This record gives sequence, C-alpha cells and structure tokens, in this order.
Amino acid sequence: MPPKACSRACANASQVLPDAMDFIVTTLLNALTLISILMLVGLGLAISFGLMNVTNLAHGEFVTVGAFAVYFVQSIGGSFWLGLAAAPIAGAVVGCILEFAIIRHLYSRPVSTVLATWGVSLILQQGLELTFGLGAKPVTPPIDGTLDLFFTAYPAYRLILIGIATATLLGVILLISRTSFGLDIRTVIQNREMAEGVGINTRRTYAIAFTFGAAIAGLAGGLVAPLAIVLPQMGVNYLANAFFVVIVGGVGSIGGLVAGSVFVGGLTSVLNYQISPSLAQAIVLLAAIVAVRLRPNGLFNGASR
Amino acid sequence: MIARDRNWLLVFAVCAALAIVYPLFADGYQLTVIRDALIFGLFAASLDFFWGRTGILCFGHAAFFGIGGYIMALVTLNDAIPFGSLLGIAGAIAGAAFVAAIIGYFLFFGGIRGSYFTIVTLAMGVICQQAAISWSSVTGGDSGLIGIPPIEFDLGGTHVDLSQDLPSYIFVASIVAVVVLALWSISRGRWGTVLTAIQDNEVRAAALGHNAPLRLLVTFVLSAAIAGLAGALYVCMAGLVAPDLSGLLLSTEVIVWVAVGGRGTLLGPVLGAIAIQRAQQTISSFNPSLWPLLLGCVFVIIVFVLPDGILSIYARLKSLFKGGRQAQ
Repeated sequence: MPPKACSRACANASQVLPDAMDFIVTTLLNALTLISILMLVGLGLAISFGLMNVTNLAHGEFVTVGAFAVYFVQSIGGSFWLGLAAAPIAGAVVGCILEFAIIRHLYSRPVSTVLATWGVSLILQQGLELTFGLGAKPVTPPIDGTLDLFFTAYPAYRLILIGIATATLLGVILLISRTSFGLDIRTVIQNREMAEGVGINTRRTYAIAFTFGAAIAGLAGGLVAPLAIVLPQMGVNYLANAFFVVIVGGVGSIGGLVAGSVFVGGLTSVLNYQISPSLAQAIVLLAAIVAVRLRPNGLFNGASR
Repeated sequence: MIARDRNWLLVFAVCAALAIVYPLFADGYQLTVIRDALIFGLFAASLDFFWGRTGILCFGHAAFFGIGGYIMALVTLNDAIPFGSLLGIAGAIAGAAFVAAIIGYFLFFGGIRGSYFTIVTLAMGVICQQAAISWSSVTGGDSGLIGIPPIEFDLGGTHVDLSQDLPSYIFVASIVAVVVLALWSISRGRWGTVLTAIQDNEVRAAALGHNAPLRLLVTFVLSAAIAGLAGALYVCMAGLVAPDLSGLLLSTEVIVWVAVGGRGTLLGPVLGAIAIQRAQQTISSFNPSLWPLLLGCVFVIIVFVLPDGILSIYARLKSLFKGGRQAQ
C-alpha cells in the first residue's frame, strides 16, 4: 500500500482506532480467561475420558467443590489465597474417594460408569445444597481494581487467573514429560498390558492420575469462583464445555487440549458479544459436532488415533 | 425366543386388561394421575427403543420431549391455525424428528458412538433448556406458556373432545398401547435383529452389507419422534409448558425409569415410569430437595446391584432354580 493512502486512512480512523483496539483487546482477554479455565477443567477430563476411557459425569462437580472450598474458607474468615490453596485439595479428596469407591470397579462397563458417576454428581449437588443452603454464594476477588493495558483497562484479577492457569499447565507438561511418574502415565496410556508387564502398578497410576485431574479441576473452580455464580449446579456447564474441548481437540496430547480450548473458548467469547449466551452455546455445540464430523480424531491429531 | 415372545404378549395383555378395568374403580383425579404417568411411560418406551436396541445411551432425550411440547403449545395457542390439535401433534413429531435427524446424521455418519454420543446428547439437553429459558419472546421464558387447550378434533365425522378425564385417559392409554406394541414388533423383527448385530459388532454387521449408520439414524429419529409425541400429549393434558420439560433432570429421570423397568423390554420402562413417579410424589411431599438425592442413590444402586432392572430379579431367581436342577 502506498504511504500516502495509508496516512489518509489512518487520519480518518484516528477516532475509531482506539475504540476498535479497546474492543479487540477486551475480547481477546475475555477469550483468554475462558480458554484458561477450559484448559484446566479439560485436563482432568482428557486424562479420564481421553486416556483411561472413563466417562466421568461427576467431573463438573470437582469444579463446584473447588469453588465452594474458596467460599467456605472466605466465610470462616480466611483469605482468598488460602481458599485457592484449599480448592485443589478439596477436588483431589472428592476425586480420590470417587475413584476408590466407584470408578475402579467399572473400568470394563462404560455405560454403568456413566450412570454411576451421574448418580454421584446428583448426590454431591444435593449434598452441597443441603449443607450450604439455597442461592448463589458470594466470593470476593483478592484484588478489585483494573490494570491499565495502554489500550484498555482490564480487571487485574482476570490477568492473575490467566497467569496462574498458564503456569499450572506448564507445570503439568513438565510433570508428564520430565518426571518418572509422568513416564509411568505415558506408558500406561500407550499400552496397559505391556506397562503391567514391565512392573508398573497400573491401578495405582490410574488412581493417581484421576485424583490429579480432579485436583486441577478443583483449582479451576477456585479460580473461577469470584467471576462465576457459585451454585451447587454450576458444574454441568463446565462439564459440557470441557467434554467438547476434549472431543474437538482430540485425545492424547496437550496440543489437542489447547486447540480444543481455543476453539470452544474463543468461539464462545466472540459469539457472546453478538448474541445471547444460550444461542452462542448452541452454535458452539453445532460447530463442535460439525468439527467432529470432519475431523473425527480431533483438530490437532493426524490420521491415526 | 417363541416362549419369550409369548411371555411378553401375556404381560402386555395383563397390563392392557388392568388399564381397561382401572376406570371402573378410580375417580377422576386418580385417572389423571395414571394418565400423566402413562405419557411419561410412552416417553420412557421411546428412549428404550433406542438405548435398549442399540446399546447407545442418549442423555438428552428430554430435549425431544420439550421440543414436542413447545411446538404443540405454540400451534394450539395460535388461533389463526386451524385444526390446532392435529397439526400440533404432527408438528411436534416432525420437529423432534427433524432435530434428531440433523444431530444424528453428523454423529452416526461421523463415527461417533458410545460415550461420545452420550456426551453430545447431554450437551444438547442443556442447550435446549437454556434456549427455552432465554428465548422468552416465544417460549415465555422461565415461567413457560400457560392456558394450552385440551386436544380436540374431528375424525371421520365424530367429534373428539379430550377435556374430560375419562376420554383423555382412554385416548392416552390406547396411544401408549398401540405405540408400545408397534415398537415391540419392530424390535423383535428383522430390524431389531440387525440392530442387535450392529451393537454386538458393527464392523462385521457392515461387512455383511448392512448400512449401520443409517439404521442407527432411523432408529434414533423414530425414538425422538415418539418422545416428541409424548411431549405434545403431556402439555395438552397439563395445560402448560415449562423449560423443565426439556431439562437435564427429566433426561435423567427417564434413564432411571428405563433402567429400573428393564432396558430392552419396552413394557418394563412404562411400568418403571408409573411406579417411580408414584414414589416421587410420595417422597417430594415430605421434602422436595430429597428427590434428586435419592435419584442419585438409585443410579448407583442400579449399577452395582441391579444392572438389568427390577424384572431381572425374576429371571435371576429362575436361572438360580434351573441351575440347581441341572446340577442334580
């Protein structure tokens, strides 16, 4: 483009440009917030659903339990950060009990796993409602103000959320690729019989991996608590979206998880600006179904499963 | 196989006889209670026709029930549309079938089976309920639509008016009987046999020349159409439609009705629906929030104690005695 034309265009746009940049940066950061949460929730699901072939419909409740942990700690006078530390522990405890009591007995019966985990999900929801009462629970963010990002002012807490989520994901990647436990997990995933043959306790590895996924989902719940409406029934929305992340992204790689989160989270946040949230969700569902039809093995994966 | 068919028909005949003599002993209120339970029984049978025959669990079947209900409500509440009741029922069936056809096409021909299918249908149910709540200009939002007139139409010169308890009971009971009988004859015939083959081993069934995705799709659409019919009947009898009708809780409950009544028996789910709703009304009268808690426990108990439903107790006892005799 010739320089002269550019300068004229820029002069005309001098009023519009800051507004447009404000819009773009805000949308981008909103999308990043959602993508971060989806990645954390989807991680546990990618482990249980994608790799262990366990359809855990109680996964959304790990998020709920994490959010309630933050609420509970705050309500007895603790700080948000203490609550955020309690959130993954609460998720891990519930996940560990679920694995020991129910899921490990049903590895060979997929439909039974669906029914049993859904039952557990209902029990947890009603249990929380009976314990903490009806209605939304208030959770206050640790920092209130906004941060000036040159183009726009953005809530500081959301930036912290994105940072913590990214750091957690990097930590998980290091754990899986660098530690001996990560090696065990990768071995069990590739071939369970052979892993058993070389002396890996696959039951124990499954249990730890499942608990770990639950803890990460609990952390996601704690992180999202100040932004979301904290209700016993809040888990189901994260459950549905996280399943889409895993289905669209394909199982078996962190890259797929990121691709799926960007697809679902990005599309949802962009559409949320234009249309009502439920219509946006319906469109994301349809897009996910079409994506699965076109790329049955996930956006990120090649031809082989 | 022949003996099992005879047993099924025997049970069906006993149920039909009970349904015929019931109005002689029941008052108007009891009739309406059983009538509404029968509609949910029809809904349960529609899920069983798909889940029981293909082994693929649909976790959002209430979406079709709700779609049928809303279409029926919108058609009959619009005075400009003639023959409201008949067109409403036709529209409800067609609407549910259409949505099922679109979703089913992408899923079945995309090779989606098992857990993946369950998840996508679960999300479908969530979205349907949200759409019913947020699209308030059409659906009435949270409170839904009220004042839906009872079914009324002319058929071959006779005027049918279902505003009274007894006619509506007879109408619903005969529809349930006819549909259950029809579904049973489909699923015991060649169609059902091929579906069983696909469930056992889809690759082999395809190698024998059966178009497995198409068979699954048609079965799914038929199942959704009947769910839509049940939804349409329900809103006319209840006089109102609300977002709950397409919600996750109803999707969950229908799975319990089928699982308790016995998956794959078609008649069992109808009986399961009637029995469990009876229990639900009793329990909810003590404490409304107790019901979902118990429902959750029922799920876990079914999986670990009664994987084949309540009717399987009889079969288990029988095989226990038979096994004992053979051992001697």
